[in-house]
Amino acid sequence: MKAAAFDYVKPKALSDALFLLKQGGDDAQLIAGGQTLLATLNMRLSEPSILIDITDLAELKGISVEGDKLRMGALVTHTEIEDSDLVAKHTPLLKAAAPHIAHRAIRNLGTWGGSLAYGDPAAEWPACSLTLQATMVIQGPQGERKISAKDFFIDLYTTSLEPDEILVATEIPLAKSNQVFYFHELARRHGDYAVAGLAAVADKQGQVLTNCAFTFFSVSSTPVVATAAQDLINGQFLNDQVIAKAVEAAREEIDAIADITNSAEAKTHLIGVLLERGLKHLIA
Amino acid sequence: MELNGEQLIAAPIPDVWRGLNDIDVLAKSIPGCEEISRVSPAEVHAKVMFKIGPVRARFSGKLLLSDIIPDHSCSMAFEGSGGAAGFAKGRSRVELKATEGGTLVSYTTEAAIGGKLGQIGGRLISASAKKIADDFFQRFAKELGGEAIALESSSGGE
Repeated sequence: MKAAAFDYVKPKALSDALFLLKQGGDDAQLIAGGQTLLATLNMRLSEPSILIDITDLAELKGISVEGDKLRMGALVTHTEIEDSDLVAKHTPLLKAAAPHIAHRAIRNLGTWGGSLAYGDPAAEWPACSLTLQATMVIQGPQGERKISAKDFFIDLYTTSLEPDEILVATEIPLAKSNQVFYFHELARRHGDYAVAGLAAVADKQGQVLTNCAFTFFSVSSTPVVATAAQDLINGQFLNDQVIAKAVEAAREEIDAIADITNSAEAKTHLIGVLLERGLKHLIA
Repeated sequence: MELNGEQLIAAPIPDVWRGLNDIDVLAKSIPGCEEISRVSPAEVHAKVMFKIGPVRARFSGKLLLSDIIPDHSCSMAFEGSGGAAGFAKGRSRVELKATEGGTLVSYTTEAAIGGKLGQIGGRLISASAKKIADDFFQRFAKELGGEAIALESSSGGE
């Protein structure tokens, strides 16, 4: 199938893009890497009348360190994240996660901001941005606003982005020297959507982890932070009993939702499998 | 696909029942409802703009009510077509019970989704259905001047 006819504009300035977006209303759609959108258009699952290509907007590009934050432009591709020395040094969780996203050809085009704004519960970046306590930088007709990742992801495919706003960048706190991380997803084939995944970081001192952040994805309507499991691990000397308790707590606190091939029970089981592996990796 | 749930609506049974049978209330409660009309006491036609994630398709469909026991329960059969995007059809049963703080609405739904929507949207179809049901009850409760409290909802594949 081919997409229905649409108009196409490629503004050079953020202010122009915002104007076009507001003017287009419900019929306008932003496009960056297009790795989800184009398939959707070709299947005629949606038929916007105008596409606003934001890939020329300078404000949305690049990876830089600003103070104690890493600024990730919304247009940064998955491949750029995978290959960036700044990311490897300051947010190593993201480097570990990038190869799990689909395949290289898709990673060459798909963007950080696109993944966040789309809010697919199986996607890697929403989970990582929750784990890393990132802050979204958003531009709208009223100017700039910032919102933390935990308030950004609201529901299935639903973020706090208003229809007339554009996600510009994300600010991510730099990893401390004692930060350890774990990223893993269980999928039938590499590149498939995960059946369940875990993005975890913690500060490590011997066998004790503090400031734990465990986010599970592809298990519910949004990525889910396992706060009860975190509380059980924070500051405790990790042994098999503590790990078993945390596994039980994570399975208990997350209300898994089935997808078309995997039951909620299977996902709940895998949440525990991932956490156990993750904790053993973090203290190894 | 199955979708079952329970919602507590802070309004007495007769109000909830009237609401569920009032197409003006339904029009405001169904997310994306553009048109709704009652062609006979037991048949309702509607046009709905279905917007969730990658999908933005206009569905036109009809709803047939049966086994109507006023202030208590009813069954409904529905089918909708979204043109190139696909179709959905299924059955739902709704029961009302008086409870402390209002009315307990419980529903069981079985639906089948086909076409492109089934292929592409299939992965998250259960989560999507749950979101639409939750949105509906939130809006519905607001129309009746209260708040919906989701007591339980679960969805399963197939």
